[in-house]
Order: sequence, then C-alpha cells, then structure tokens
Amino acid sequence: MKKILSSIIAVFIFTTAMAQIKFNLIINSQPPAQLTEWSNRREVLTLIVTAQGALGVQFKIKTEIKTLDGTVIGSADLAKTSVFTPSSTGTTILVANDVMPLEFMVFTGKYKTSLERTGKLPADNYTICVQPVRPTDYGPMGEVICKNFYLASTQLPILMKPYNEEILDAKKAQTAIIFRWTPVVPKATTPLTYRLQVFEVLPTQGPVQALRSNQPLLDKEIVAATQYIWQPQLTFMPYDGETKKLPTFIWTIQSLDANHNPVTQTDGNGEGRSEPIIFFINPDKNKKSQKDN
Amino acid sequence: MIRKKIITSSFFLCMFAATSFAQETDSLLNKAKDKVKEKLQVSGTMGVTYEGYGLTRNPSGWTGYQPRRPWNQVRFNFTPTFKFGKNFSLPFNFNFAAIPTNFAGPYAGIKKPSFGQFITNPMNSFGINPKYKWAELQLGTQYLKYSDLSTGDIGVFGYGVDLRPNIFRFKFFTGISQQGINYVVGPPTVTGAFKRKNWMAQIGVEKEDSYLFAFNVAKGKDLPNSALPAPLTVKPQEGVVLSLVSDLYLEKGFYFKAEGAQSTFTKDVITPLSPVLKSLKPFIEAHTSTITDYAAQAAVGKKGKKLDLGVMVKYLGAGFQTIGYPFLQSDRLDYTLNTRINAWKNKMNIVASIGQRVNNVNNTALKAKQFIGNLNWFTQFSDKFSLNVSYNNFGFQTASGFNPYGIKNVSNDLGINPTFTFTGKKIIHLISMSYNYSKYDERDVITGLTTSNNTHTALLTYVPTYLEKEIAPDFSILYFYNDVPGAKITLATLSAALSMPAVKKKMRLRGQLQYTLGKLNSFSNSNNLIASCNIDFKLTKKLTWATFLTTNYFKYGNEILPNGANYTETSCRTGFQYRFDTKKQK
Repeated sequence: MKKILSSIIAVFIFTTAMAQIKFNLIINSQPPAQLTEWSNRREVLTLIVTAQGALGVQFKIKTEIKTLDGTVIGSADLAKTSVFTPSSTGTTILVANDVMPLEFMVFTGKYKTSLERTGKLPADNYTICVQPVRPTDYGPMGEVICKNFYLASTQLPILMKPYNEEILDAKKAQTAIIFRWTPVVPKATTPLTYRLQVFEVLPTQGPVQALRSNQPLLDKEIVAATQYIWQPQLTFMPYDGETKKLPTFIWTIQSLDANHNPVTQTDGNGEGRSEPIIFFINPDKNKKSQKDN
Repeated sequence: MIRKKIITSSFFLCMFAATSFAQETDSLLNKAKDKVKEKLQVSGTMGVTYEGYGLTRNPSGWTGYQPRRPWNQVRFNFTPTFKFGKNFSLPFNFNFAAIPTNFAGPYAGIKKPSFGQFITNPMNSFGINPKYKWAELQLGTQYLKYSDLSTGDIGVFGYGVDLRPNIFRFKFFTGISQQGINYVVGPPTVTGAFKRKNWMAQIGVEKEDSYLFAFNVAKGKDLPNSALPAPLTVKPQEGVVLSLVSDLYLEKGFYFKAEGAQSTFTKDVITPLSPVLKSLKPFIEAHTSTITDYAAQAAVGKKGKKLDLGVMVKYLGAGFQTIGYPFLQSDRLDYTLNTRINAWKNKMNIVASIGQRVNNVNNTALKAKQFIGNLNWFTQFSDKFSLNVSYNNFGFQTASGFNPYGIKNVSNDLGINPTFTFTGKKIIHLISMSYNYSKYDERDVITGLTTSNNTHTALLTYVPTYLEKEIAPDFSILYFYNDVPGAKITLATLSAALSMPAVKKKMRLRGQLQYTLGKLNSFSNSNNLIASCNIDFKLTKKLTWATFLTTNYFKYGNEILPNGANYTETSCRTGFQYRFDTKKQK
C-alpha cells in the first residue's frame, strides 16, 4: 500500500516537474493608455496557454512591465494573483484582466504616481513579460515571453475656430462659417472620422444643456480633415422681439475610430467629444451686443 | 307733516350714511386690494410655442441631405416670480418640450421616455425656489454653479438649500442628473446611460463685491444595475471633487481669484476594489480604475474705466475629472494675459489677449503647445468714419508618435472693417466694408509638406436710416473664396432686409431675402435662395404673438450625384407669450 502511495506521489511530482506550460502573448503595439481600458477591449491583449503533458496542473502568471532598458517598473504580486488550470482541450485563452490584474500589480516610483493620478503610464515604449510559475514556490514552469508596446494617451481635438465666445457678423455667417480643430494626437494609423456638431442654444437654455438636449443644426462627418466650411442656410434673426440675447450656438467635435466608436471611452466624457465652445451671431453689428446667457 | 319730514330726513340720512359707509367700505377694500397688490408682485412670463419643420428632397428617394430640426415640437414656459412683501419670493422655472430631441449625452436617441426620464431630461426644467430673507429652498431642476472646478454644467433634479445668513454661506443639494436608460440596438440606436445620483455642498463666507472664501464638495455616482441592457460604450462612474475657492476684490479695481481642487474619480465602478490605491472615505472607495489628481486656477488683475489688465493661469492635471463638468478637457496648463484699453475719449477701444496652452503636463501624452493671440482694435475717427481691425492666431504643435514629422497647424485671421456714415436731412447712409483673410497651414506628418488653406471674404453693407419714415432696410453683397489644394470654393451672396412697424406700431415686421451662388472647382453652379420673416404682434400690453417663417431652397451643381439634386426646407415657429407685471398695472 505504502509503495503504491509512494509511486503515485513520485509520478505526481515528476509530472509536475516535467509539465511545460507554453505561452503565446499577443498584444496591440499601441494599446489604450488607460490601463483599465485594456480589459474592456479583448483585442488589446490575449494570452494563449498551451499545456504540454500538464493537464490538471495549476500555474500562476508572473507578469512584469519593463522599460526598454530592462528596468522593472511594475510586477504582479504573485501571493495574490489567481491560480489557473489549463482547460481539458489543452489550449486556454486568457485576457488582460487575467494577465495583468491591476488590483494586484505593484508599480514603483514615478510610474506608480502617474498611474494613481491618471490611470496611465508616462508616454513611452514598454515591454511586458509573462512567465508561467508554480503556485507554491513560484518556480518557472515555462519560458519568459516578452512583447513591446508603445503608450501615449489619446488627446482629443482642441477647437480652434470659431474661438470661444467669438461674435460673428451675421452677414458673413449666413453665407459661410469656417470650423477648424486640431487633429487627434497621436496621429492614428487609420484615418479618423471627426463628427462636427453645431447646436442652437435657445434663450431658456444654458450652452451645455442645449448640447445635451437639442437636435444639431449641423451634424457632419469629416474624414481625416481638420477644417470644414459650413453654409448654414439660416437667417440669424434674434429668437423673437423680446429676447435681447444674441443668437448663440455651441459646437463640438466627436472623434470616431475606424469602427465608428469614440476614440476614448473611459477618458473624459466617454463619448470622445472635445470640450465644446460657444459662439454668437450678431444680426446687427452696429447695435451693441449682449452676449450673456 | 313733521313725521314725513323726519322720515324723509331719516331716509336721506340713512342713504347718506349707507353711501358713506359703502364708499368707506369700497375705499377700505380698495386700500386693502392695493395693499395686497403692493404686497404681492408678480413678474416673469409664460407661454407656448409651436415649431414645425418640413423637408422636400428631389429626386425622390435621394437622402443626401438630412433633416436638421424636429418635424414638430411644442415648447412651454412658465417662469413667474411671486413676491410677497419684501422678504418672500416664489420663482418658478418651468421650461419643457413635448418631444425629446437629444442627440448627445446620456439621453441621446431616446424616443419614448418614462415619466422619470422626461422630468430629468436636460431639455426640460421644473424648478421652484421659494426664498425667505436669506434662506432659499431649491426644489426640482437646478443648474447650480458652485465654482469653476467643482460643479456647474449639469442640471440636477432634487432638493436642497442655499442659506446666506449675514456673511455665512451654506449650500446643499442632492438629486438625480440622469435616469437609467436601456441600450437599444436600433435603429435608432439609444446609447443608454446609468442612473446618476448627485450630491453637492458648499460652506463658506462671502461679502458681495468684497470677498468669497468657500469649501466645495461635489459627488456623483452611477448605479450599475439601473440600465438593462447596459450601455455598450459607457461605464458606470463615480467621482468626488473637493475644492477651495477664494475671491478678493480690493480698492481701485484690483482683484484676486483662486481655486484649488482635488478629484477622485472611478472610471468604471465594476472594476475590482483596489487595496493599492488610496480611497477618499467616506466619499469614495478606490477601485482599480480610480484616479486622484489636482487642478488649480488663479487670476489677478485690475479693472478700470480706461484700462483692464489681467493674468490668468489654469492647470488641470491629466487625471482631473469632475462629474459637474462632463466635457472638461484635462491635462493642460493655460496662461493668458488679457487687456482692454479705452482711449481717446472712449473713441478707441482695444481688446487683446495673448497666451499659451500646454497639454501633456503629466507626460502621459505627446507634448502639445498652442499659442493663442487675439486683437480687436476699434477706432471712431470721426462721426463719419470708424475702423475696426481684428487679428486672431492659433498655433498648435506637437510630436506625432511614430511619424517622421510632428503635427503643426497654424490658423491666422486678419480682418479690416471701415465704416462710413453720411447724414442728410432725411436720411443717414451707413456704408460698411469688410475684408477678411484667413490662412490655415497644416503640415503632413509623413512628408513634412505644409498645405495652405486660404480664405478671402469681402463684404459690402449699405444701411439707409430714414429719419422721417418707419422703415429700416439694409442691403449687402458678399464674396467668399476658399482655396486649398484640390478644391476651390467660391460663394457670392446678395441679401436684402426690411424692418417696419404695422398696425399702429403694435406689430413689428422684418423680412429678409438672400440669394447665394456657389461654385466648387469647375463643377456647375449651386443655387441657394432663402426667404424669411419675423412678425411680432403685441396683442395687449402683456400678450405678444411672435411668428417666424423661413424657407430655404438649395440646388446643387453637378458636384454630386444625382445631378440636379435639390431640397426645400421650411420652418415655422409661432408662439404666445404672456408677461406678468403687477408693477406696471399699479
């Protein structure tokens, strides 16, 4: 009986020692700068785990984030990370949350500060390395796999023209209004779509309230370019005889990626909309304007 | 006989007494009514407006032009303020519309709102603010601005107080800024939103036009289970901002304003709780998606009759985010110098500002610098001649990631606008000319080549003012030319307008006719004709009927298919407004 038990234990130890877990790490070369966004997008990071003769063997993932000179700036706290068991089919697919669980990642120095304040690492090139380790003594169960990636947070367009609170002459504005904005930074590899929207602010509304309430007078999608000439085809008369306020408009740009999704979904308003600004139309520039709303 | 006299005398005496009594009573009643009137004052307006829109596109089936207004809309407003005596006021602010038209924000795409969604939709406001002396109760929809960095852009439906005993300030408000809205695939797609609860408070001291020192707290929290199915792209969030704000106004027009703020914001409350990140209890508990960052702004300057001069610095950390300003773009440092000069007996007026904005202060993105400069210089040389010169510059420069060249966009605008006035015995002629040159340079990040986009606009306006007639016409002609590699756009507009009173000055009419001829490259011309009119009719002293009608016909050149495509847009707005005004009635 003792012999049988010893044999079973010996076989188990041998199997565990000889078990090979193979990792294949696929990572987007320019993933979202917001690290929590990695888990929202499955295409950002995929880890394919192949177990060779190690069915039923458990492992943990030792994850390290390094700068290009090899300095480790963040690593997974193996005492707290999850234990995985390869699936019976032999291949297991894991995603960002499994490989880099942020709640158990320990970052150092300025990287920790940056992550706490912004949710992002400083713009730079980084390497992510993963290795399967034993859950008990964290000894290696396979090779270290490393991949490089570049992080730079997406900066939404800044609206240039008409500038904030600019008063346009109605005689010119009724023919054409030029809109200009800065491009999304960093420049995307595929052309982005800029959705230009102009909303009328009614006398009883605040500007942001109008943006969130009204149907836009202009809703135009512009691919790659950062200027648009709008022929409003409107006569900018005051709202009525009682209203002394100038006709007021609020405009913004929504930046959309190739799939028509907002380029940033967890930054700012989540809609990929730039900070809107207002402009006024003065129907009679010889009269004193009253632009307060 | 004597008896008859006595009876007659008694009858007249009674009549006199009764009349006197009645007169006295009437006078007392009138006095009482006057007193009530004196005590109860009502001001403000109420009204209803209908808006209609029509669009006909040709050839039928062509959808190259989309409607840009709701087909039908009815808007109601009820905004009277009841004042009882000196100390108590009861203002109402009810503004609402029958049909939702949200395109951006949490209510985007919603068509059949529930009652709760209707009440909290930003297009509707239902607010009552009873106020007794220094105590104000805030009920219903309130757009409260506590400060520039805490809360101000969002309407919240709820309840709260604004107490201002002496120099002390205490404000508190809580409610719902958006209801849970289920995601709908569509079409039409409804993005969806989570129900958001808001809390805000301010405590401080203030003396108007002298000083303000206050501490603000603003919090918002989404309820993750409030939308089923949940929105695809929107995450349930939670955020709190603490801010200290101080304003100081000194003698001789000097002022100093400053605010510092800290935000702790969870971008996705479904992410796990983090033992590593700092929580801000009892306000918020840290998740892995929680960030804490800072913002500050300060302004110092002097305001005077002849000179205003001010410096403003604003810093928003890359992780600074507040629920009270959902569109705030963070990660920037702005500094601007503003001035306004009135000289030459107020005949010369100069308004100028110069500044720079730096993005990527925390080095989380590629560094971007923007130079911003504006100048507007107006001079009234004589009764007959004035000149306005304006110049605007906006330059943007940043590295461009993997690309060999950085991004560089520079926008320059120069405007010159002389105005001549000739006064005759019966007519004043005003001739205004305007020329604008706009140049927009953009560098290609791959080739490094810069493309220039040049726009010239020339406008001539003639406004005759008849001294003995009530009509007020104006005429203008405009030429617009835009030149960019691959596209040349030319537009020429003729416009005429006439304004005049009618029906014994009870009605004000204004009409405008505008024709624009357009040309893109060598394609055939496009044509645009717009006719519009405003009719404001004062039915009584307090009741007005305002109507606006416009029609717009546009025919494309052969730059688009199908050739000859055109559309006609019509819109109409008509509404009655009743003005409460007990003061004038007295």
